Amino acid sequence: MSDIVWELPALLWALPLALLPFVYVDVRKSVVWLKLTPVDPLSRILTPLLKLAASLLIALLVMALAGPHIPEQLSQRSGEGAEIIILVDRSRSMDDIFAAAPRNTLSRVPIGTQSKRQVSRDYLIEFIQRRPDDRFGYVFFSNHSTELLSLTYHKDAVMATVDAGALGRGISQTNIVEALLKAADMFEHEIYRGARRVLLISDGGQLLTEQEESFIRQRYQALQLGIIWIYLPAMRGMTLEPSDQDNFLWVDMPERKLHEFFKTLSIPYQAFEAGSLSDFADAIDAIDQQHYETLMVDEVQPRKSLADRFLLFALMLAGLLAAIQAYSWWGAYLPRGHDVDVRKLSGICYCEYLVFDS
Amino acid sequence: MAGRSINYLQRIRLTAMAMCAAVVLIMAALWFPHVDRDIKVVDTLFVIDITDSMLVKDARIGRETVTRLDWSQEFVRQAMLQMPCGSKVALAAFTDSRSLILVNPIEVCANYHDLIQVLYKIEPPMAWAKASEVSKALFTAINQAKDMDPEPSIVFITDGHESPPLHETLYPKFGGTPGEVSGVLIGVGGTDVQPIPKSNEDGEIIGYWDVNEVLHVDVYAAFRGDLADAMANVQRTEHLSSQKHDHMERLGIMVGFDYLDMPTANQLMRTLRAHDSARTQRVDYDPYPIFAGLALLLLLLLYLPYGLLLSLRKRKT
Repeated sequence: MSDIVWELPALLWALPLALLPFVYVDVRKSVVWLKLTPVDPLSRILTPLLKLAASLLIALLVMALAGPHIPEQLSQRSGEGAEIIILVDRSRSMDDIFAAAPRNTLSRVPIGTQSKRQVSRDYLIEFIQRRPDDRFGYVFFSNHSTELLSLTYHKDAVMATVDAGALGRGISQTNIVEALLKAADMFEHEIYRGARRVLLISDGGQLLTEQEESFIRQRYQALQLGIIWIYLPAMRGMTLEPSDQDNFLWVDMPERKLHEFFKTLSIPYQAFEAGSLSDFADAIDAIDQQHYETLMVDEVQPRKSLADRFLLFALMLAGLLAAIQAYSWWGAYLPRGHDVDVRKLSGICYCEYLVFDS
Repeated sequence: MAGRSINYLQRIRLTAMAMCAAVVLIMAALWFPHVDRDIKVVDTLFVIDITDSMLVKDARIGRETVTRLDWSQEFVRQAMLQMPCGSKVALAAFTDSRSLILVNPIEVCANYHDLIQVLYKIEPPMAWAKASEVSKALFTAINQAKDMDPEPSIVFITDGHESPPLHETLYPKFGGTPGEVSGVLIGVGGTDVQPIPKSNEDGEIIGYWDVNEVLHVDVYAAFRGDLADAMANVQRTEHLSSQKHDHMERLGIMVGFDYLDMPTANQLMRTLRAHDSARTQRVDYDPYPIFAGLALLLLLLLYLPYGLLLSLRKRKT
């Protein structure tokens, strides 16, 4: 209970009002001769107790009005998931149509109309929704990269950022090296909570120099990072792994080189070629079982109002006081002709006045 | 006259009745069902200018002189704090000739932390090109706002400095309907011209833009044969920056936005709420303070030291 926060702390200045029941109360009741009133030791004890109850009741109501609550709190639980930095290619090439038919084919299958940027959004949303326990960060890159969201559990914020990434046109060229290093930097000062992944979503590769390769290798191994690459082919049929039906123009594609390089990193690496969204969904479920480790998950406990507790206590006190007052009333209004019990009349509730009258 | 004091028995009855009423009121405070209450919220897309001219230090927060960008970020933060929960906020950065949406509209209270974090990343290193075509960026912001759900009002924060400068008649024209998307242009910066800091890719300031490093005539004139003539009539001051009131007023009229010169967050919220785009949001409201407050009032009336007050009044007369 020590961490109660008040919504309107200024109201607490009204707390001294709770002293009112103790203030001298003059009700101008004249008694002919004080000795006529019977001595009632029970009343002597009960009177201050009732004043205390009334005082407490006022205090409780004032406090309930001040809006006591326990603020939003972070609590930890263990979950199954990973910390993932989403690395989104914001370059101009992402504006092109996704999986266009190769130039030398007759278009039997209707050509898609979605840009790679829109497709990438669908894939990312699918991914995020399937990973309830993951913590996400967001970096977008073109010729240089910008960290937009640090690792966060707020799915709404991540989704809104991903959605925004699908709007408008691309901005510039691609620099994957800087982006990969930027993503690694974001883990630098984080405590190790569990599996760490960089989710790269892009439509192309890049030829890396030996120096860049060794730098990336060293960083990713040191920080224990894994890579997930969602590759968006510009042309239908283009794959990261060489196959027999390859167009011979694809053999030396930079994306294949990058794919080969990632494979040699000896870190967890998974590549997806965007094709059908449902295949992708299945594949995500598959990595769950293989790779992900137990992870400490921060959960936000929503703000909890305590006003009801104060009110419940107040209700008990008010009920008690009301019952006693009603009893006094009943005692005072006994039908005429009835024997009036003086003890009852001078009972617990009016005794206070009699004492002060002297 | 000291008022008619009630007799002893009346007092007993009154006390008992008041106490019973207090009990009923506290019960109502506890168990009265929550009610729906409609509040007016405004969904807002904040667009912040991140061009180099925003690094000029001629804005004030309190007694401190800060850069226009610092002022803008603080301004957006204050505005977000003033928004009632349920309002949605989107963030965008502007440089070159367009506004880049960074975060789509999300609820401001639950995501305040993440929004603030993104807000402070809206800085010159994010810029992908060094140009400042304010009008075009404003138009793209309006176009993209139409694609969002809910469609936000736009708060476009800039100093209005166009670089390269605009041609007198061949400036970009707005294709949409003025006022279709509602919004406010926030002008930031002083009236005196100041040198513009030049930032590198990491956001460090590496000097100032030199008079010979910027275009002083519009692009159209710059590529014509009579450039020399054009140059002769131009004041070479484009490397200096101040808030361009006239230009922003004209832009505001063009797209149907209000124009405010460095307002407080309060003023902004008032302007936004006055627009038709304010939407009513139903919130769940617990009316317990009304009942608890009444119960408290009743108790206080019961326990006020009337005798003391009476005797005080008597002493005066």
